[in-house]
Amino acid sequence: MREGWAEGAAARWWVTRRIRSGSGVLLVCALFGAVPLHAQATNPRPYRLQVPPARPLSAMAQLGKRLFNDARLSGSGRISCVSCHSPAHAFGPPGVSAIVLGGADDRSPGFRAVPSLRYLYRQPPFSIGPDTSADSDQRLTVGQQAARAGDKVRAVKTALAPQAAAANLVPQGGLFWDGRVNTLQQQAGGPLFNPAEMAAGSPSRVLTKLETNYGEEFKAFFGPTVFQSPRLALDEAMFAIGRYEIESVEFHPFRSKYDAWLAGHAELTPAESRGYRLFNDPDKGNCAACHLDQPTRDGRPPLFTDFQYEALGVPRNPAIPANRDSHYYDLGVCGPYRTDLRAQTQYCGMFLTPSLRNVATRHVFFHNGVFHSLHDVLEWYVYRDLAPERFYSRDESGHVVKYDDLPPEYRRNVDTVDGPFNRHPGDPPSLSDAEIEDVIAFLDTLTDEDDHASPLRTDARMSR
Amino acid sequence: MRIQWRRMLAFGGAAAMLANSIIPVAAADPGFGRNTATPIKHLVVIYDENISFDHYFATYPHATNPSGEPRFFPSPFTPRVNNLLTSDLLTNNPNFLNPANGAGAANPFRLDRTQAATADQNHSYTPEQEAFDGGKMDLFPKYTGTATTGGADAFGTTGQVMGYYDGNTVTALWNYAQHFAMSDNAYGSSFGPSTPGAIEAISGQTNGYVAVLGTKSASFVADGEGGFTDIGDEDPAYDTCSSKTQTMSMLGKNVGDLLNEHGISWGGFMGGFDLSLVNADGTTGCARDSTSLYTGTTADYVPHHNWFQYYPSTANPTHARPSSVDAIGHTYDASGQLDPANHEYDIDDFYAAVKAGNFPAVAFLKAPAYQDGHAGYSDPLDEQAWLVQVISFIEQRPEWRDTAIIIDWDDSDGWYDHAFVEPTSASYATADVLNGAGLCGSGPPPPGLGGDPVNGRCGPGPRIPFFVISPYAKANYVSHTLITQSSIVRFIEDNWLRGERLNNGSFDATAGSIMDMFDFNTRFANPPLFLDPEDGTPAAHPAPFPPFP
Repeated sequence: MREGWAEGAAARWWVTRRIRSGSGVLLVCALFGAVPLHAQATNPRPYRLQVPPARPLSAMAQLGKRLFNDARLSGSGRISCVSCHSPAHAFGPPGVSAIVLGGADDRSPGFRAVPSLRYLYRQPPFSIGPDTSADSDQRLTVGQQAARAGDKVRAVKTALAPQAAAANLVPQGGLFWDGRVNTLQQQAGGPLFNPAEMAAGSPSRVLTKLETNYGEEFKAFFGPTVFQSPRLALDEAMFAIGRYEIESVEFHPFRSKYDAWLAGHAELTPAESRGYRLFNDPDKGNCAACHLDQPTRDGRPPLFTDFQYEALGVPRNPAIPANRDSHYYDLGVCGPYRTDLRAQTQYCGMFLTPSLRNVATRHVFFHNGVFHSLHDVLEWYVYRDLAPERFYSRDESGHVVKYDDLPPEYRRNVDTVDGPFNRHPGDPPSLSDAEIEDVIAFLDTLTDEDDHASPLRTDARMSR
Repeated sequence: MRIQWRRMLAFGGAAAMLANSIIPVAAADPGFGRNTATPIKHLVVIYDENISFDHYFATYPHATNPSGEPRFFPSPFTPRVNNLLTSDLLTNNPNFLNPANGAGAANPFRLDRTQAATADQNHSYTPEQEAFDGGKMDLFPKYTGTATTGGADAFGTTGQVMGYYDGNTVTALWNYAQHFAMSDNAYGSSFGPSTPGAIEAISGQTNGYVAVLGTKSASFVADGEGGFTDIGDEDPAYDTCSSKTQTMSMLGKNVGDLLNEHGISWGGFMGGFDLSLVNADGTTGCARDSTSLYTGTTADYVPHHNWFQYYPSTANPTHARPSSVDAIGHTYDASGQLDPANHEYDIDDFYAAVKAGNFPAVAFLKAPAYQDGHAGYSDPLDEQAWLVQVISFIEQRPEWRDTAIIIDWDDSDGWYDHAFVEPTSASYATADVLNGAGLCGSGPPPPGLGGDPVNGRCGPGPRIPFFVISPYAKANYVSHTLITQSSIVRFIEDNWLRGERLNNGSFDATAGSIMDMFDFNTRFANPPLFLDPEDGTPAAHPAPFPPFP
């Protein structure tokens, strides 16, 4: 089959080039096995992937599921978690607009795009650098961790050796676009009280609703005095929601075609295979450098994120009403919604690398929802540095303001070393138009298929 | 048939030898043949992490039993324990009433089984004393309740330090309590975190700290006699896996030295210690790690938990392997050469040695970290699974008939506990605040290494659980004798060494005795108890022991 042979030849050429350049032979060999070479579209090295088992929800998780769907908790009485984290849309935003209108009047605009709630169960806590402190009686604050990271040069991120970057002393882990909380319990409390989101009002309003609608259950679970401690009762309610998200397989279904392919149960089309190779090619997409796509050593499926933060300098989105104020900047890790790292301006502009699972179901991308199709996203990845005038606004003199969603003093934080962001005007594009389509074809394989059990759950073997 | 101990003594001669001829025991068993003051020939000390007594036993023996959770019903005649239920502290608790706790003011509250993953509390020497508030035990949320969050699925609340589990979570421990003996009056020998607790379990006291690399000022105090006392966590010097910038060692002797002097077999067995093994996830060396169902991934070996590694005479800094399975527990191998492992081994070496009939007389065990029970990176369910597996393993051995298993904890994690005892070890360092600035207790501190009173050992510290599991353990028994971690040292000395003491400041001589948890005169051995490792409920048959590399 000529096409397959050409692919195989291209792949072998690519592999040989890697070996000659001396970079990561062992890793190349590992990749060699996993990347489809010829028209052979099945995974030549299938994995037996460990996934959390599908079990009946505990009573706590069932309570959480009811709270997750309960619009009575909101100020307007019309918004629940599912309003923005739609089960039919991978628990992500159901709409196409960058921000959702919420609040007590259903008309308050938000500030950031809604993330998906799927695949957060393995999210590590926030730290600067990997958190190696088991049982430390002196834990460093994030400020101290940042100081320790100092000016240490970090390893370049390449799809050939993504684990090398795991030791980088960079922000990683946590939830929300800026990592300001660590637990799903804490995350649930954010939108609940955000005046632009569920706008639940005062804690006592929520507690009254909880006691009225869930009082007996709470007292059984948490003791008869639970409502005497308002903070505790609220935390327990949010924990129950988090518990639902941990236990329910709907939050980590692993029902995508890619999962099936990893396990040897599916075939990739030629376009998907090409896209997969481009995803992993450090000189092409280099996507796997941050969006890790290989199972862990002990067989857990990839989550398509290394949990690290990046400042990519996406264009400013005029559709966000707050952006009408030219002095307003959403700086991610260094603020304004996260407050403990304001002084660490080296992190301004950094946002969490999200999982790419189900990315093809989204219509809003990046923290500010500035793009609405995967095609636009990939165009920007390829041409950000080659043709910035396509994406960024211009100043009064007509000059393109690259990274216009960052104040001038923080534009130096933007990543210009990890491919494909290491290119300059005049360089060839990292991906051709046809290659962009192939990558999108591959990204489509990351969508969880609904209404059937994961082929990975053929046995009840326990895993995290 | 049960042999009565007294009757054996009445025959004179070496009672142990006579017992040998009647109860067949593997001749290779090194614990056997030694004269012991009790019938116990094998002591296994399971040293777990960071639990206060009330954190696990606040409402013992009454569990909530919500539907879908492992149920627990107490045996009739279960003795009363000193906990929050019997002290009527579940409501109107001083930690709720004291406004100094601010937003964290809270009554004790039940932690559900789904909340096995929680944050780690503050368990440093000074904050623990501050929480005690001179014995009023009412400032835990303020001082030890400053918690980190843990992973995505962890539970956290501002008064979290007041949370407790019941028999629907710590089911195995409640069942062991029903069938064997535990203490409701056991304490850390002093305040402070893991390293002082580890050192106290083997040498009885913490004076004699030496900074080897760097200066970790939070982990020691000047003892007032020109030396230093350990009050905090710091890695053991020269250990391959230790910090490269801050390490310590200890002067003086520990109980391992005494056992060596008498040629008694013993070992320290730590999870993750064998650096040559490769774990299922591909990690090896000091980076060997394991992933919990509940709390994420964490390194197996934690250097600052390794008791004997702090003393040069009993250390194995390079993690050298024993020359053979038969050499485990012994100073010399079969050919008379010094065994490179020097009594420090991997937890897997314990299983291998016991299976080979080479069950040491004294063994200290530490799980791989994810199973040691420490909040944050471990949890009660992982801890329970390991405890059940290890205890079941021992219970199935023929040596079980002469074995005592102690389960003790190295510190309380700062979790709330209501019990207070007046300090018997006073201290007047700046770090001491129990009774005021620079004050813990009254009167002169006990002597330290050099024989003079020294600072830094304010204690007893917080109350922790303590179990004795053995055919000779009393059944469904609660001891109220005041004991500490140093009582472990005392028992070893009393049983194998005719009461020889470490002296030089050790608390072994003044520690309480655990003997009331045993009954050596009974006709009936306490039978083994097999539990399900996942839910801690009684099982008809022991669970199969998991394979290890």
